[in-house]
Amino acid sequence: MTAGKRAASAIVGVLLGVAVVGAVGFTLHSASADPQKKLYATKDSATISVDGKSYPKAAVTLGVYPDRQTAIDHGSTANNKKDWVQYGPSTHIVLPAHTYVTMTIHVYDSGENLNNPYFGRVVGTVGGTMNVDGQDVTSIPADQVQHTFTLHGLPTTSQDPLYVNVPLLRVSTNEKGDFLPTTDAGTKLQGHTVTFSFITGGKGEYVWNCEYPCGDGTYQKFGAVMGSYGYMSGKVSVA
Amino acid sequence: MAPTPGEKLTNFFKRRDVIIASALGVAITALTVIIGGWWYTKWMPTALSTDMKSIERLMVIFTWISAPVCGAVVAITLYTFFNRHKGDTPPEDGPAIRTRGPIVILWSVVSSMLCLVAVVYGLIELNSAEGKAQADAPHAMIVEVTGNQWVWNFHYPAQDVTTDKLMLPINQPVEFRIISADVNHSFWPVQLGVKADANRYQVTLADTTPNKLGTIDVKCAELCGLYHAYMETTGAVTTRADFNNWVTAQGGHTA
Repeated sequence: MTAGKRAASAIVGVLLGVAVVGAVGFTLHSASADPQKKLYATKDSATISVDGKSYPKAAVTLGVYPDRQTAIDHGSTANNKKDWVQYGPSTHIVLPAHTYVTMTIHVYDSGENLNNPYFGRVVGTVGGTMNVDGQDVTSIPADQVQHTFTLHGLPTTSQDPLYVNVPLLRVSTNEKGDFLPTTDAGTKLQGHTVTFSFITGGKGEYVWNCEYPCGDGTYQKFGAVMGSYGYMSGKVSVA
Repeated sequence: MAPTPGEKLTNFFKRRDVIIASALGVAITALTVIIGGWWYTKWMPTALSTDMKSIERLMVIFTWISAPVCGAVVAITLYTFFNRHKGDTPPEDGPAIRTRGPIVILWSVVSSMLCLVAVVYGLIELNSAEGKAQADAPHAMIVEVTGNQWVWNFHYPAQDVTTDKLMLPINQPVEFRIISADVNHSFWPVQLGVKADANRYQVTLADTTPNKLGTIDVKCAELCGLYHAYMETTGAVTTRADFNNWVTAQGGHTA
């Protein structure tokens, strides 16, 4: 083989290698990309004073549905798995920085027991409370919780800490009369409304997830829906 | 570079390639010893306990022990790489390498001694840490650590406090009682030199005594699902007064 052919072979080999590595990287990136559209909090022109400091206000609303059909019935964007519990309309929430954020979560699912009663406590909200159907509470018994909204992030020096835990009161068969969670599209559904507020810091990327074991039988009920993007966990971008 | 069949060992060590490779090996060994003894510790987190200090020491000594092996392997690799055959026609195979009894014995004994030193030293360090933990146990502060997907929380039964931050008073022996609420995790407060499994239904015990003020990074060292990479929190080793103030602020009670 001449020197020219050797050089050409080497260049072709390198280019092929780069192409293969690039294709693998592109495929992996596409597969791991966030499938959710971003849900932007609605900014309010009003401000609010907390501990002597004034903050702009913003609000965002979510729902927790026992299955795909219930999500659709409530006008939420539904995910693919029809029997999987899911948050909606999106699990990627975008919040403004240094803002008093009020989050409302409509709850339409039943529940059992929390694995860890710690997540029955309200943590990180303004006043350490949340409002459930008009009543301020600081915790829910571990056997009354349906799901949780637990927001946390990496403790890095480049972003402010943000930790919020809110337990969501379950809907049970002995309350709310006939308004029970159901997959029947013709039935009116009524659940609980949970409202709480927290204050965002500077820009940062955080994650949230449910701490209630609502997956299938694998991994201590933390498999399936609890191990998949877009259902019971997601991102919070503070921008 | 292998000895020619029938070649005397003294002549083998006089060969130019062997001398160059040996000199290179000594230089790389020395470099590894320096990196292991000084630079390597710069990469380690600040030690906030004697356990972390002993781990640092162990890592340095193990690096020193493995330095001659590293030196020999890298030296031979570099020498052969820079003196490889150039050209189209590869040379014929060299003569078969014959076993030389003294070299085999020397190499086996040296390797065994290096491994034995590592094992014995490791056991001594382990025994020392365990002995101290047993002595401290009667007056240790209990911290119940629970790993959850993907959050840590810490319960201080004597103070009746539960938080997501690991706060410890200085010079107070601590016993961690570690468990998981769901899948397997691994509790790793980096600066304390502790790493222990967090399993469902099974409490794992780990002990330490923080002896320096500073920040603690708590990580999960077991791949545990979707947001494993986010399963981190912080904490601190504080003065006793600051710890008591923190407990009071959390609504707990001090001893």
